[in-house]
Amino acid sequence: MNTKTNRRDFLRQSAVLTATTVILPTLIPSTALGMGGKLAPSDRILMGAIGTGGQGTNNLRDFLGHSKEIQFVAVCDVDSTHTAKAKGIIDLANNNTDCRTYADYREFLEKEKIDAVSIALPDHWHGLIYTAAANKKLDIYCEKPLARTIHDSQAIVSAVKRNNIVWQTGSWQRSVERFRRAAELAINGRVGKVTRVEVGLPDGIKGIGTPPVIDVPAGLDWETWLGPAPKSPYRGVCHGDWRWMLDYSGGQLTDWAGHHIDIAQWGLGMERSGPVEIVGKGTYPLDGLYNVPFAYDFNCRYANGVEMRVANASALPHRMGVVWYGDKGWVYVDRNREQIFASDPKILEEVIGENEIHLYKSDNHIGNFLECIRSRAETVAPAEIAHRSISVGLLGEIAMTTEQTIKWDPKNEVIIDNPAASRLLSRPYRKPWVELTR
Amino acid sequence: MKKISIHILGLVATIMLLTSCHWGGNYKALIVTGQNNHMWETSSPILKQLLEQTGLFKADIVKSPAKGGDMSTFNPEFSKYEVVVLDYNGDSWSEKTKAAFVKYVKDGGGVVVYHAANNAFPEWKEYNEIIGVGGWGNRSEKDGPYFYYSVANNKRNEKLVQDTTKGRGGSHGKQHEFKIKNRVLDHPITKGLPVAWFHGKDELYSELRGPGKNMTILATAYADTLMKGTGRNEPILMTITYGKGRIFQTVLGNADENGGPSMQCVGFITTFQRGAEWAASGEVTQEIPADFPTAVTVSLRPNFSVMTIEDDLAKIAQYDLTKSTKYFVNLQHHMRKEAKTASGFKKFEKMMLVVLEDKAATVEGKKLLLGELSWMGSSESIPVIQKLTENSELKAAAEAALERINTAK
Repeated sequence: MNTKTNRRDFLRQSAVLTATTVILPTLIPSTALGMGGKLAPSDRILMGAIGTGGQGTNNLRDFLGHSKEIQFVAVCDVDSTHTAKAKGIIDLANNNTDCRTYADYREFLEKEKIDAVSIALPDHWHGLIYTAAANKKLDIYCEKPLARTIHDSQAIVSAVKRNNIVWQTGSWQRSVERFRRAAELAINGRVGKVTRVEVGLPDGIKGIGTPPVIDVPAGLDWETWLGPAPKSPYRGVCHGDWRWMLDYSGGQLTDWAGHHIDIAQWGLGMERSGPVEIVGKGTYPLDGLYNVPFAYDFNCRYANGVEMRVANASALPHRMGVVWYGDKGWVYVDRNREQIFASDPKILEEVIGENEIHLYKSDNHIGNFLECIRSRAETVAPAEIAHRSISVGLLGEIAMTTEQTIKWDPKNEVIIDNPAASRLLSRPYRKPWVELTR
Repeated sequence: MKKISIHILGLVATIMLLTSCHWGGNYKALIVTGQNNHMWETSSPILKQLLEQTGLFKADIVKSPAKGGDMSTFNPEFSKYEVVVLDYNGDSWSEKTKAAFVKYVKDGGGVVVYHAANNAFPEWKEYNEIIGVGGWGNRSEKDGPYFYYSVANNKRNEKLVQDTTKGRGGSHGKQHEFKIKNRVLDHPITKGLPVAWFHGKDELYSELRGPGKNMTILATAYADTLMKGTGRNEPILMTITYGKGRIFQTVLGNADENGGPSMQCVGFITTFQRGAEWAASGEVTQEIPADFPTAVTVSLRPNFSVMTIEDDLAKIAQYDLTKSTKYFVNLQHHMRKEAKTASGFKKFEKMMLVVLEDKAATVEGKKLLLGELSWMGSSESIPVIQKLTENSELKAAAEAALERINTAK
């Protein structure tokens, strides 16, 4: 623990110098610092990864694109085929065979003396592992949505604050110029006073029926994969498919809350607050194991009267993406369209004045995280904002589950006058896992 | 034990049914049939059932003489009805009957043109103005342009086309399931429906042409060339005004034995029911059903009846995850409706507890109900759930439910 603190202090003390190196390499080449064009290995941020399936591996590769600044030394996953694959990638990058592998995150967190960790897990595990890593004072890059329940999400935000760690959520659209630009146009009134927003997220997928119970494949610790979720026999539905079952995820809605709802609230200036009333309807598969809504449509009202409609793409005229409608026009942004659209092309030419709102500028999501590890500044996608983004998705889920109008107090983060719906803010963990406290 | 519990369920459900349904119907509907190149003996009674199950209509069926019969005897009293549903494609009506029908519409009568009714009467000018567009019967450019939406990569650029090209009116490719896209979202008939929804296997009527006066195309479907379709977005649901009359045309519902998926489709059922109400009154008061299809799935009602709570709970008691979860989704819908009032919820909770105590009910079914009671159950649920903690298969689910109920206190 001491050595780690020293390491952290060293990083902090050299923050100004190294941050300059990262941001302005042409002005002050690192050769001028006597490092032969490379940061000394001791300067590199030591990292580990928990969860190295599909998205975990994508993130790992993205991090390795910054190999001058970081070095991975250990990985952890409940599936040994995942750890073996990740170790292969890391060993190749490090030109050695030293990457350590773990199956149990508790052992990983106990033994590894690292600075930061990249985490990519099914949602039902976020609460436990994010807070455990935060309590080890590791800086964290992790996947959205922040958590499976609002209660878990709140516990994560507290743990991040309490431990004063640097946190970046994988809401990478925040580091893409056109999303920031569109949100900036909206928040600075370039479409007039914004009265409503439409957020289009992907349609859900067709069910697969109920596959038969089969043997758990060698290398997968199914019991631990389930973790705090209810016990369930293995039906070959696991990696990549967990998103379609309510025990592990809320489907496309909660997956994408951390993207387009996140961007929508950014442009509304609501990224650290939330709606006051949520009402809507979900449509659920009629058959089979998959039970997340594949069609969903709910409306959120904010205290200032702005309405935000969140729905699956097919229910909306513009399909995917975010549209802010003001009294003078609209502006629209999406992932699959290279440019921003507006009711009047002149809106897109607008310059944001010096005294207006300039949103946090990051052009590289992982780069921003690494800079902030050194500067100790807040990232472009900190835990609290991610918490507020997924809260909208989860409140939508509660509104659809209850088919009632949910009244929400965004300041105290409680559902008003509805004890039944309030029970849906958390869910019991399966023993021996113990629920989180704030 | 099982017998008793189902008996109780039946009683409670019957009481609920009697209190929730309205009988009699405010509108009178006349289904006109008797000749058709389609299975009218099957389709007309189904249309009657569908109209009456809304609680809004009382429907009569009138049959014309058989093909080649004496049509002068066929004089339905159109003016006694708020809506006339045409399931007819056969011999010409007498001039007197035609005139009575035109007068009925002009004076504000409602009409629903169902599937092959748009094949009928190619030579009758007023009829073609009433239906907007039709097909077959040697219809061609002389009868009016083709109506369809163009196809574009960017869906926003798809535009309504009136195409005067020479050629036949009416065709369809192979029967298949297809996606229907609503082009007008704020019409009473389509309001609240998903923008796109999947329809059960059916004929996709194409190349319809006609005068198309005062016609609004509410919905289209892309006729895929892979299914030998036209490669156009063909009109599927239309409204027309003629004089003071309101006309709704649906090209859907090619009847098979027992109706088949085209008629069993909840999308067909719902748009037909809504279209009929709009034609009768100019407004739509019906709710969109929970099982309305979506952009990715077809939704069918094999026996055309809406599931009752009683049906659903009986199914839950036999629930098997490997077979179907369908009834649970229906049950949740009922449950949420009932839970809106305290008394409705109490009744409903009791019904769920009966299933939880039913020794014959499946573990899977009980787990589903425990999940629901975990958030909506009252203190009345606690002793019943407590008992289930003694069952090794249900222990974890019962304890989780109790934990949730108790933490909220």
